[in-house]
Amino acid sequence: MAVDRHAEEQKLIALMIDYQKGEMDAFDGLYEALKRPLIRYLWTFVRNQTMAEDLLQETFLQLHRARQTYTPPRPVRPWIYAITRHVALMHLRSLRRRKEVLPDENLPEVPVPPEVDQLADRATIQRLLGTLPRAAQEILILHHMLGLSFEEVGQIMGIASGTAKVRAHRALKMIRRRLAEEGE
Amino acid sequence: MSLESAPKELRQAIERDLEPIRPLHPAWMRTLVAVAVIVVVLAFSLATASLRSDLAQIPMWLSWGCSVFQLALAVILIGMALREAIPGAGAPVGAVRTAALTALTMQILVGVATSIYSPAIPMPGSDFTAGVGCLKHEFFLALPTFIVTLVLVFRALPLRAPTAGLLGGAGAAIASDAILHMMCPMSDLLHVLVWHTGAVLCFMAVGWLIGILWQQMHWRRTP
Repeated sequence: MAVDRHAEEQKLIALMIDYQKGEMDAFDGLYEALKRPLIRYLWTFVRNQTMAEDLLQETFLQLHRARQTYTPPRPVRPWIYAITRHVALMHLRSLRRRKEVLPDENLPEVPVPPEVDQLADRATIQRLLGTLPRAAQEILILHHMLGLSFEEVGQIMGIASGTAKVRAHRALKMIRRRLAEEGE
Repeated sequence: MSLESAPKELRQAIERDLEPIRPLHPAWMRTLVAVAVIVVVLAFSLATASLRSDLAQIPMWLSWGCSVFQLALAVILIGMALREAIPGAGAPVGAVRTAALTALTMQILVGVATSIYSPAIPMPGSDFTAGVGCLKHEFFLALPTFIVTLVLVFRALPLRAPTAGLLGGAGAAIASDAILHMMCPMSDLLHVLVWHTGAVLCFMAVGWLIGILWQQMHWRRTP
């Protein structure tokens, strides 16, 4: 698993370097590799699949405009996820300003990690994830589902890695508590 | 075309603007540009202005020592501002808060300690005139570093632009205050707190406001 993560990161770094050299194939490669995880992440902010897909396009445009700010060989994912997060937060801010509300949808089908999966059946977990506060959901998605380290999660969210770890622990605890409440 | 390929409009938009670019230098290398500006300002100040008249009464650790320490803090703040300008590379909120508060506290403590060691020297003219004079000096000494830092910050992509601006403002102002600490003979605590600490706070506020403006302009979405 760790080898795969490393290989995946190396592949993203190589794609980013080629993208900075102006190769369209590299952009396509990045899009292909990142589309699904980014949509899952964006969903935690907008809870709407269509809007998440729109924001994905906006994210890639922002990535394109800011591509000179990526310095190889830094890890690519914290850089990309931080921009994605900001695009989503800016969108939420503009929604609040316009007082618009999007209809909530269920979390799109996502792989659930063993430590979460063993708590209950998949449908219950998916439903409970959707009811968690956004910050808790964000940490769970980034660390437990997308496999980012706590250090990377901290870099994306602008918090210390220790804080990210504590928040992830609390989020899992919250799921367990809700499961217990439902069981009673 | 696979299911995961980018939509046509997005691909076209990217293709239209796709040309080779050079990645930015790492934050520490860009910090060196701001350090070079500080060194030039310091050299210019030492060459054109005289050192404070009460220098003999102040121990070395409090005069040169504290100035060097403040300069180091200023470089750290500027480095943090430049890291803040790279997505996913900014310091945690707690570290930013600690650095900004340490720099501000240090500036105040240096003022308090100096006022203990050196009695207030009466200045020609009113306190207000002397204060405005110091404010002008703080302003002109900090301005080059402030401009260079903010240009470097906003050429990148600071996601917390107000924070980056605040750190840049604090760094430039603390560097300027470290230099002025060796020149201004007014050790009266009120003078230091109102005019010198006030100047640092002003630069922090201006950096913060520029950050807000930049953020609004950069992220304004087309309808």
